[in-house]
Amino acid sequence: MASDRRSSRLAAIGIVAMLLFGAMGMRMWFLQVVDAPALEQKVQSNKTRTQKLLPERGRIFDRYGRIMADNEKMLTVTVAWEALRDRADRLEIFGRLAPILQTTVTDLETRYAGPLGADGKPKGSKYSPLLPLPIKEDVGEDTAMYLLERSEDFPGIDVTNEWKRAYPFAPVASHIVGYLGAITENDSAQYLDLGYNLNERVGQFGVEKVYERYLRGTPGYVKYEVDSRGVILKVVERVEPIPGNDLQLSVDLNLQQFAEQALETQLRLRRFVETCQAKDAKRKSVKPQFPDCQNLKAPAGSVVMMNYSTGEVMALASYPTFDNRWFNSGISGDKFSEIFPKTDDPDKSLLVNRAIQGQYNLGSSFKPFVAFAALDTGQLPGGEDYYYLDQGEYTLVSIDKETCQMIKCIYRNALCGGGNYACRYGRVNVEDALAVSSDTFFYKIGEEIFSERGGQPILQEEVRKFGFGSSTGIDLPFESAGRVPDKESKKKLVESGVLMEGESTKYLVGDNVQLSVGQGLLAASPLQLAQAYGALANGGDVNRPLIALALLEPGTPNSDQVGVADLTKAVVALNLGTKDTIRNLNIDPAVLDPIVRGLSRVITGPGVEYDFYHSTTGERLFASYPYEDLPIAGKTGTAQGAASLPWNDSSAFAAFSLDANQPWVVSAYLEKSGYGSKAAAPVVKCMFMATIGAATVADVLPSNPLDLTATVAAPERSLPSNRCLGGAAYGGRD
Amino acid sequence: MAYPILNRRPQSRLGNIRSGPGDPRRNIDWTMLAPVVLLGVIGAFAIYSATYWKVDADPYWFTVRQVTFLIASAVVLVIVMAFDYQVLRERAYFLYGCSIIGLMMVLSVGALKGGARLSFDFGPISFQPAEFAKPAVLVALAAYFSESRDEDMSYSKFIGGLVIVGIPTALIIVQPDLGSAFVLIVGALCVLVMAGARLRYLALISFLTIVTVAAAVVAGIVDRYQLKRITAFVNQNSTDKDLERYVFQVRYAKRAVSTGGWFGKGYLKAPLTNGKFIPVQQSDFIFSAIAEQFGMIGGGVVLGLFGLLLFRIWRVGHLSKDLFGSYICAGIFGVVLWHVFQNIGMTMGIMPVTGVPLPFVSYGGSSLLSFAIMIGLVESIHMRRMR
Repeated sequence: MASDRRSSRLAAIGIVAMLLFGAMGMRMWFLQVVDAPALEQKVQSNKTRTQKLLPERGRIFDRYGRIMADNEKMLTVTVAWEALRDRADRLEIFGRLAPILQTTVTDLETRYAGPLGADGKPKGSKYSPLLPLPIKEDVGEDTAMYLLERSEDFPGIDVTNEWKRAYPFAPVASHIVGYLGAITENDSAQYLDLGYNLNERVGQFGVEKVYERYLRGTPGYVKYEVDSRGVILKVVERVEPIPGNDLQLSVDLNLQQFAEQALETQLRLRRFVETCQAKDAKRKSVKPQFPDCQNLKAPAGSVVMMNYSTGEVMALASYPTFDNRWFNSGISGDKFSEIFPKTDDPDKSLLVNRAIQGQYNLGSSFKPFVAFAALDTGQLPGGEDYYYLDQGEYTLVSIDKETCQMIKCIYRNALCGGGNYACRYGRVNVEDALAVSSDTFFYKIGEEIFSERGGQPILQEEVRKFGFGSSTGIDLPFESAGRVPDKESKKKLVESGVLMEGESTKYLVGDNVQLSVGQGLLAASPLQLAQAYGALANGGDVNRPLIALALLEPGTPNSDQVGVADLTKAVVALNLGTKDTIRNLNIDPAVLDPIVRGLSRVITGPGVEYDFYHSTTGERLFASYPYEDLPIAGKTGTAQGAASLPWNDSSAFAAFSLDANQPWVVSAYLEKSGYGSKAAAPVVKCMFMATIGAATVADVLPSNPLDLTATVAAPERSLPSNRCLGGAAYGGRD
Repeated sequence: MAYPILNRRPQSRLGNIRSGPGDPRRNIDWTMLAPVVLLGVIGAFAIYSATYWKVDADPYWFTVRQVTFLIASAVVLVIVMAFDYQVLRERAYFLYGCSIIGLMMVLSVGALKGGARLSFDFGPISFQPAEFAKPAVLVALAAYFSESRDEDMSYSKFIGGLVIVGIPTALIIVQPDLGSAFVLIVGALCVLVMAGARLRYLALISFLTIVTVAAAVVAGIVDRYQLKRITAFVNQNSTDKDLERYVFQVRYAKRAVSTGGWFGKGYLKAPLTNGKFIPVQQSDFIFSAIAEQFGMIGGGVVLGLFGLLLFRIWRVGHLSKDLFGSYICAGIFGVVLWHVFQNIGMTMGIMPVTGVPLPFVSYGGSSLLSFAIMIGLVESIHMRRMR
């Protein structure tokens, strides 16, 4: 046995081991005891560096706490800038990371150096040089783990948690909620002043944009001590970010979904409807250059439902719509252009909230305000007892016969008898005229209120009281003020080339006649229409529409129900739901009552008897409406479009409840969808039936994940039952 | 006997009449297992302190995985202990062949990370053949040298041993994983010394190592990262931007060790460890987390535990009933020693940075299992040291 030799060899190995351990012990002692004071000294003379900590964005709830906008944790892969300075290193790291992160080296290089400028040189990264470079957002947990576990293979790599916006009920209410987007170059100076980083995402549409400064919260920061080389030594101070305020909207998401479904269902149904031109005596189409008949296009529309006593918006739908999750889905630019194609066709614009941005002729749905103007200014001798004999056409009296050779002096009612002649309603007062929608009655007002008062804009001033021509002030972006045409606005239109050349720059009596039936140069949004009808409903209060009820302190807890926050535990930070009356018109009952009676008869009848029975415009449709449960009053409108072709008619309807305990006012506008009584009125009828439980309202459910393979901005949606849209609508007139 | 104190007979008091004093079950070296368990526990705590912020939803993500690995390793250790190491004598070359095949396969089909093919990926678990090659190569070498009973190693015998070590080492260098290659070479050197290699043989193997590494560098197999790490080691205070990230990792690690002082900053109260400054602290730089939080005392305890473990391995090498066991112990002694020195040394800036884990402490399943196998082998030798 060679035990001794074994021992001596083992002893040799043991001695080596002891030497190594001795070296380690010495080194540790040296580092900790001898070197440490010198290092402490060094720490005294350090500089500081600050890193921003971004807050969690405030959530958005509907009026009952349904979570319309939420935040999800998003894992973002970052790489330290130091690890990327060397170009060869960088390309190698990017080359290895690109396949793992399913991206391209070019994309990563762009993040590092910025996009290439015109000179072929990169313009500089948009990411903060103080924070690690984010190279891929929203990676899966498994990818993050893979990289974290192997971080020695990817120098400088880290995975950080960021917030990603989620819209649990999308696409419902996408136009209201809006979306977040990158800070555009135009806005960059402004956001930098507000303390934003340029790579932050900010609200670009909807309440996300309007309430950006409340939703965003207050960033925190970490202050580090760094040495002369800029190497971080320790944390000096850490201030946690303060999350943004939560926002409670006035919208009822169930009704909102119902409104969107009703609108879309109705538009799709209207596309099956064929309309034909009027025929002349020889049974030839009046305008032979156009086809005889064509299907309605029904491309777009909007619905607004408000509480007329408070101004709270309960639902506000716009079609065509989109799913706001596309904006943070991380899809490529090409895919985005496929989903949201750039188009000059206004029928196809998705990112337009037609309910507030639409600039529409209102057609006859504008007449109640003309009636108001006439009664309020004493234009009608005897007021509501003034009768006019409607013979189907109205000839201007303020223009002499010779001039009438050159310009249009005869204005006709809508067509009756299968489109062969203008309707005649006989002796009508203001109430009858509203009920059956007599145009001639209003043509007369339109002419005389202008010609008999020296061309003063009396009609304009009266209807402006209801909010036409000025923004409603709703807290949604890009609202249009619309236009009540007068001298100045017409001049502007002609000069800017919107109107055809040869059109007079003067505001003529004909313009006023057109205005009296809601045609011509009038432009108003469905929200303005609802606001104005609301003022008729509540006796004259023009209320600012409220889309938000309150800003809440951050941290409203979730309830037991999925997708719903517990508002009973919410703390209000700022009340936004206070009724805000812009104007109190205090309408004289002598003025208001005949208008409301006329609008009630639109729903219930009766019409007028002349030659034969003329039903009111809504009588047949609303025969299937449970009037006793919730009495309402409303008015149809058909706005003529290009070349006055029937398939270019747009459909308007607005109505309000006569029960002050259920103070709803609803307006709907369906573009190129035919008569008001046929397209828009059924949608409004559905909305009222929904409020009283007479139509099936589906509970809104958290949606499935966004289908990234989809090629449209939002999936097709329909009413659970479209029975409420039904009911015979009287055709031919409005 | 040179060290009578080490040859204390096992206690054989009355009370156990069913087994004799040579029963392996009565000869477990608990003193060797104690530091292993303690190091594993210290490691789990240190890993938590260095990783709790990494996975936001689950601060225990790394820790839970490590504890799972620890439990699995304990099971493996017990299984290896239970086998008589003599069965390896015949199967040594078979296991050796398997690990060579594993190393060749990983070169061709392994997961490519950081320009290197080091492991096979099986979903959440990755498997590094180099870790398992360590015990297999040492056992093969021990079996090879213990075949002959000559006191001095013949030249031809030495050349045979060189081939046995050379093939896997070359395969590991090509991966490239210089750290593991050096570990294997140090383990082999210890076996060679035990087997009576002459000094000039040792000089030759050292020379061959240098030549191989130099050739690998020239051939571009060792990439620029590893070279830069060495450059950074030589210039530890370099302000060169190019070297910055190689330098700053060590600089932080050193600072973490030095600012710990005698008693450390306290668990979870250390600004560098808990301030997320040191990359991959949970695996390669775990010692900095221990030293910063528990100071010189804590670092000293860890070093002491390794010292105790190494001493017990060394002692088993002495006690083994045959040369085969002694050689295995010597090799494993070298491997563990080099892991500890290399890892703690690089943390404190006296060795260049290579990805060599601290046994039983660093985060990682493959190395834990590999060390469990090795300690199990040593324990098996100890348990069966009686003839």
